[in-house]
Amino acid sequence: MRTAFAILAAIVLLALLGPFALDWRYDAIDWNAVRAGPFTPGHAMGTDSVGRDLLARTLVGTRVTLGVAAAAALVSLVVGVAWGAIAGWCGGKIDEAMMRVVDALYALPFMFVVILLMVVFGRSILLVFLGIGAVEWLTMARVVRGQMLALRERPFVTAAEAAGVPPAGIVLRHMLPNLAGVAIAYLLLTVPQVVMIESFLSFLGLGVQEPMTSLGILLKDGVDDMDIAPHALLLPAAMLVALLLCLTRAGETLRDRFGA
Amino acid sequence: MSLLVAERLSVTIGGRKLVDDVSFTLDAGRTLALVGASGSGKSQTCLAPFGLSPATAHGSVRLDGDELIGRGETALRGVRGGKVGFVFQQPLTALTPHLRIGAQLREAWTQAGAPPPTRAAMAAALDRVGLDRPLERLDQYPHRLSGGQRQRALIAMAIAHHPRLLVADEPTTALDAVLRAEIMTLLCGLCAERGMAMLLVSHDLATVADHADQVAVMQTGRIVETGPAERLLVAPDSDYARALIAASPRLDAPPPMLGAVGAPLVDARGISVSFRRPGWRAGKAIAVDGVSLDIAEGEAVAIVGGSGSGKSTLARAIARLGPIDAGTVGWRGAPLPERRAMRPRDRAGLQPVFQDPVASLDPLWTVADIVAEPLRRLRPDLDRQKAAARVEAMLVEVGLDRELADRRPAALSGGQAQRVAIARALGPDPAMLLLDEATSALDVLAAGTILDLLARLQRERGLAILMITHDLAVARRLCHRILVMDAGRIVEQGPADRLIEAPVHAVTQRLVAASR
Repeated sequence: MRTAFAILAAIVLLALLGPFALDWRYDAIDWNAVRAGPFTPGHAMGTDSVGRDLLARTLVGTRVTLGVAAAAALVSLVVGVAWGAIAGWCGGKIDEAMMRVVDALYALPFMFVVILLMVVFGRSILLVFLGIGAVEWLTMARVVRGQMLALRERPFVTAAEAAGVPPAGIVLRHMLPNLAGVAIAYLLLTVPQVVMIESFLSFLGLGVQEPMTSLGILLKDGVDDMDIAPHALLLPAAMLVALLLCLTRAGETLRDRFGA
Repeated sequence: MSLLVAERLSVTIGGRKLVDDVSFTLDAGRTLALVGASGSGKSQTCLAPFGLSPATAHGSVRLDGDELIGRGETALRGVRGGKVGFVFQQPLTALTPHLRIGAQLREAWTQAGAPPPTRAAMAAALDRVGLDRPLERLDQYPHRLSGGQRQRALIAMAIAHHPRLLVADEPTTALDAVLRAEIMTLLCGLCAERGMAMLLVSHDLATVADHADQVAVMQTGRIVETGPAERLLVAPDSDYARALIAASPRLDAPPPMLGAVGAPLVDARGISVSFRRPGWRAGKAIAVDGVSLDIAEGEAVAIVGGSGSGKSTLARAIARLGPIDAGTVGWRGAPLPERRAMRPRDRAGLQPVFQDPVASLDPLWTVADIVAEPLRRLRPDLDRQKAAARVEAMLVEVGLDRELADRRPAALSGGQAQRVAIARALGPDPAMLLLDEATSALDVLAAGTILDLLARLQRERGLAILMITHDLAVARRLCHRILVMDAGRIVEQGPADRLIEAPVHAVTQRLVAASR
């Protein structure tokens, strides 16, 4: 758990600050070192097929992937908590209707919808944010609604009602703080899913646009050159695996701790 | 010869001593009761030597001459499957939900290598523990059984392999008063019939009084007094045993000192509440069926009934804290608005205290904030400083240390948490308290002091009280008048003395008998 958080923090710091410490920018081409191997002077992890520093590209790619993931997770948090809290508090017909909407969205072949959106509206990072965020809030809404239903029966909520606290006050002051732990745990579990989706879209060529990069694009480039330059695949792949493992581990530990 | 001998038994977990240097002997066919408040180590004393606790036991415990301490898990499993049977507190969670009763009983039966029983034999075993329609029960899943029926099924499983020792860890605590008496009688009858010894753990002296041969009183991991039940319960030597006995509510205790009764306060007419049955079954379950009741200023009224009698639902409907189908509630002559339309000033007069003291406090808030919350809403006349002073005064009034004000509920004991809940309820200076099983989740000592506190508050402040309880003895200790509820209706009501001396209705008679 601690290790997971420590590695996560290290990756985030590296992705944010690392590129500034390097000699080469992620999009600068070193004509003297095209397809250089690892440990070439100036390029610790070598360069890609057009001579761009691989380490810089991996770090910037991680930054972009994490950025997309964080933004989408945030959208899912806001929409999911609001949707779930309203459904769980109101109950009855409103709850039924709102949860059926969630079921219907769940049933959509999401990847297909995102690809369609990309094709219709063109590739843009904003669309990737919106598309992913619009789908990832569904699980959050279900979790929050379940927590609300459980909390509503707790005597301290009844006590607050007896103390004359209006419904909005009960939700904001008593219920949301008490489900925050669970929501944060699920938020951390959403991030690795979003990382996967973003990488997959980029791998298909539907994600961010060159020369901007992301882990998915790096993986795709790496796969193309796998036979002659395996390190170009291994570096982003290792980064992705480390990110996914740490995020999932941290999220699951938190979820278990908050008992959801 | 002694069946179970414990010598210098200690139980530790993570370096903390839960049980410290405890010795006792239990002869074959006799009953020993371990009695103490929660956290006194009584459960650990009887579970740890058999490997049923994460804690480790030291010292010596011999069953039939065989040492248990230091044996491996496999050997202990053999002991548990052969000579010992266990009954636990929670009948709701101790059965496997996806297995039929028959399958679970067969498993218990054959664990010591006995041949699989016939259906008739299993039905006879269920019949012996008092389950009706035993053949039908074999094919039912646990969720079809009520709490009392589940406890009976568990007892049948615990004795299926003919153990010589029955360990019963709070076997009746989760049940209501009537069931409590029935289950205790059943356990003792079985012990006598089969020559089984019983190690009975309870926090309730009244429960063990009639059923144990020997009583050992435990306090903070030590046995403070041992003796024959009839002597210890009448003339205890230790202060702690004396306090425990004094705290247990009894029907024959002298009537409480209560305040004077004034003008009419609450006037509830024709209250009905029903719930939609869950699942595909159509229709409604009627919880409260056209009940009327009135309460005067300064009058303490108890609604007594078994679990599922609708008493809590009725009280919540009156307090506008729960659903209601029909009926009106008058408050000082004027009708109370509906639940959703209740304004803060309508709420100020009637404040609730609930059963589970820790769950009724928001776990993230400090004690001071919890007590201040109703003041902020219901007493807009108090400014910040006056409110803070009132919070402090309330904490003092319920006998809480000022230092507790910054704690959170998880750092409070059950008794302290219930005092905080009472302080919160008293804050807005209500005319009436609703006590919904306010003492039944507490151990005997804490419950006793809370009842004393409530009686004092009732007297000094002229509080009206509506108390919900399944225990007549508790009602007797605090109330002028008792209403007995069964299946959603009030079946008998009257002054506490009259009702207990001369109960008329069969339900009341059962309740009185159970509390004796």
